[in-house]
Amino acid sequence: MNQETIKHSELTFQAMVESTPNAILLVNKEGKVVYLNNQSEKLFGYTRFELIGRLVEELIPKRFRTNHPKYREGFFDSPSVRAMGSGRDLFALRKDGSTFPVEIGLNPVVTADGTLVLASIIDISERKKAEERFRLVVESAPNAMILVNQNGIITLANNQTEKLFRYDRSELVGNKLEILLPERFRQNHPQHRNYFFANPSARAMGAGRDLYALRKDGTEVQVEIGLNPIDTVDGLMVIASVIDITERKTQEKIVLRQKELEVKNKELEQFAYLASHDLQEPLRTVSNYIQVIEEDFGEELNAEVRNSLNTIKSATNRMSILVRALLDFSRLGRGKTLSYADCNKVVSDVVSDLESLIKSSGTKLTIGKLPRLNSYETELRQLFQNMISNAIKFKKEGIPPEIRIESEKLGEQWKFSIQDNGIGIDPMFHERIFQIFQRLHPEGMYEGYGIGLANCKKIVELHGGRIWLDSEKDTGSTFHFTLSDLPI
Amino acid sequence: MNRSINCIMLIDDNSNDNFIHDRVIKKNGFANIVVALTSAIDALNYLKQQKEKDLVHPDLIFLDINMPGMNGWEFLTEYDKLDTDLQGKIVIIMLTTSDNPDDLEKARNLKALSDFKTKPLTKDMLSEITVKYFPF
Repeated sequence: MNQETIKHSELTFQAMVESTPNAILLVNKEGKVVYLNNQSEKLFGYTRFELIGRLVEELIPKRFRTNHPKYREGFFDSPSVRAMGSGRDLFALRKDGSTFPVEIGLNPVVTADGTLVLASIIDISERKKAEERFRLVVESAPNAMILVNQNGIITLANNQTEKLFRYDRSELVGNKLEILLPERFRQNHPQHRNYFFANPSARAMGAGRDLYALRKDGTEVQVEIGLNPIDTVDGLMVIASVIDITERKTQEKIVLRQKELEVKNKELEQFAYLASHDLQEPLRTVSNYIQVIEEDFGEELNAEVRNSLNTIKSATNRMSILVRALLDFSRLGRGKTLSYADCNKVVSDVVSDLESLIKSSGTKLTIGKLPRLNSYETELRQLFQNMISNAIKFKKEGIPPEIRIESEKLGEQWKFSIQDNGIGIDPMFHERIFQIFQRLHPEGMYEGYGIGLANCKKIVELHGGRIWLDSEKDTGSTFHFTLSDLPI
Repeated sequence: MNRSINCIMLIDDNSNDNFIHDRVIKKNGFANIVVALTSAIDALNYLKQQKEKDLVHPDLIFLDINMPGMNGWEFLTEYDKLDTDLQGKIVIIMLTTSDNPDDLEKARNLKALSDFKTKPLTKDMLSEITVKYFPF
């Protein structure tokens, strides 16, 4: 190579170096800067005259300086193209004393002045900032978010991940993702992951399969997982967003059960309706033909036959009423409408409906202040009507009924009490009286079909409450029931 | 005795009910003729063939709901399709065991239907119907 050629190639090299967007430094074996390009001047804040001949360590923050000469010597002992620092975060120092993160590539360059190292320096402040922003976004996400590389290693996990899986993130980062999977899913998972990286796109994981994750304590949690491919400097990764859906699944089950129950209730109601409808027909035929006999042969019948006919007639009447009561019971609360009802008004309406009964029996009513609450007013009216008329009906012979109605707030509910001075109820019957068609007294003693209290119980339950009583035989009864203030 | 009702038609698959209803109508003289049919299809055919067979045109029909084959509701749908001269001025009253509120609601919305009564048909019911729908 003649001087001309050498000169020319040096110029070409210089022009190339000047035009690269990276900062480039040439450093000799002694660690002295022998050349720097325009980008380096800008990046470090020195002019090339200030820097040439100075030790490269002056561009390194003090805390990293000590070991650098040793690394430098190592490089010259076995010069090769490599990235500097391998995995360590590298920082550079400006003339003004500020530091910034860098990435540095090293290249041995053989020149007439011996082997030099060409350092190509990239300011990665922006990238670091972006990474930090990404980390903050992930951290503040409401879901557990886990960043996983193509080898299935967790590289990032947020606070929610710690909460959901009960691991400290230091136990997760650097580990295989499979530790978060129940044993039975582990084997196939790398295959799924490879498939994802081969066809990266945002998608829900599992597509229809129920997904479960494993906590540190060995418990499992049902999850829903969204996958998103993310291009990072360390290659393509997948960010998994994990939601605990245990609660939702429980809710879904409850809703399903409720729907089943609704269907069953509907069926039952339909059954009761059809049964009572079909039962009414033969009953009607029986009573119709009794009437025919009475009309056509009345005068020819003797007293005994007429008596028998009357018995048949009253039995069919009674059955007809029972069948109808069964139907009413099954339909109770159907088409109910919720409204804000004033119980004072409801009770005073019931009292005026029962006015003649109250007067004839000499009943004394004491009614305390009652609440207003969201309720099914029609049914509520029926409830008070039953309670009050029962209290009058089951009075002690010769003693005018005294009835006291009170209410009190009991937690979220209202508790009502209806106290009477009637015949009382033996505690052994306290459960039974709320069952349909259960009566405690022989026919004829007290009118009734054993349906009123069954209706009351159903109405109270419609209002999310319960009904019970305090009573002994001969000491009067106090019926209690609770009603919820239902949400409208 | 009210003579403005000449003919009453009973449509009910239950012949016992028809017997009793026929009896109460005739016994109390509410109509001259009672046509008792046990199927809604028969009733529809009757109405269609009134002229050719010279059948008596009913003034009042008592119609049951629950019947095998064509039920009361289906009968009313078909009835609506008849020529107006075949329909005449018939008063149709649903007469059924049903006091199902759904049926009541449905009955209220049907123009062809004048009323909804619960079985059995009684003398009082007939008097009331006569006063209301056949005042002359």
